Amino acid sequence: EADSPSATEEKAAGEEEEDDFGYRLFPDRNKKPQSFLVRSFFTFHNRCQVMLRMTLETNPYAQLLLEAMKQSGCTVFNDRHFSCENCDACVGGGFDSATSQIVLCQNNIRQQSHMNRVVTHELIHAFDHCRAHVDWFKNVKHLACSEIRAANLSGDCTLMNEIARFKFGLKRHHQTCVRDRAIRSILAVRKVSREMAEKAVDEVFDACFNDLEPFGRIPHSRTDAKRAYRDFKNRDRYNANL
Amino acid sequence: QPPRSCEDYWWEWKHCRGLRHAFHHYYAHGELPACGRWREDYEACRAWEKGRAAAAQEALCKSERARVMEKQKYAPVWKLRKSPPPDWYLPLDQDKPN
Repeated sequence: EADSPSATEEKAAGEEEEDDFGYRLFPDRNKKPQSFLVRSFFTFHNRCQVMLRMTLETNPYAQLLLEAMKQSGCTVFNDRHFSCENCDACVGGGFDSATSQIVLCQNNIRQQSHMNRVVTHELIHAFDHCRAHVDWFKNVKHLACSEIRAANLSGDCTLMNEIARFKFGLKRHHQTCVRDRAIRSILAVRKVSREMAEKAVDEVFDACFNDLEPFGRIPHSRTDAKRAYRDFKNRDRYNANL
Repeated sequence: QPPRSCEDYWWEWKHCRGLRHAFHHYYAHGELPACGRWREDYEACRAWEKGRAAAAQEALCKSERARVMEKQKYAPVWKLRKSPPPDWYLPLDQDKPN
């Protein structure tokens, strides 16, 4: 909410200064830094929107989740359910259940692959919100469950991503990563103690790690995700012929 | 007709036996995958398509139902909704008072 006004203010301030100092007296002197700041501030938002469109149109993880949500009665609209904003800290995004909106941190998401992951992660939260009575605010176990699923299924915990975070491990490391990231996410959004977060995650881990809806498998790659999407589209035939 | 097309069973079997999948399975579960079941399902599917054996149909359905049951092994953490959240489509201005 607060970001569109501030962006316009920044832009207006930059232009005024250019007219007073950068243009008349020293044509090239103040122009570049101001323009660059104004331009980059303005284009964070643009870039976020462009990357988001790319994800929603081409990424199989996102497409499967969008289809699954549509089937559950929650069609996702780009302009209503997504919002590109500036955020503090190192978060990539969040799901606001009060407004049914996915927030994307335009100043923290720099690459398309990161956008893909964040959108998938938040869509999993939105999907859980859509299909179940998730008590985001008062029940830490519900929150833990959704975070476990999101870390598990979004590709947050691939080996490459973990190595980039300097976390090394192989055998069952995926589960260690999912557990740690779930705890981190809980601590970032709720004022609970680390012990409480760990306890909640451990209590629901088995049930939630094995809840693979709507993918039906842990998608380790685009191929897996495409296959999962295909299986999802064929599920009527599957259920009818069991 | 079979729950999945026979090509799907074949694909799952080939994919299961591949190196990438073996690696991912070890990374996620700490053990190597067991792929024999996909092969059996594929054989049963082929037999079903050829029109033979009610036994093949039964075997395939049993295998698939077992897969579904395995997924439902754990009690759900939350209660599923019967209809989507009522405020999903509400315009944003109306949501502000919340």
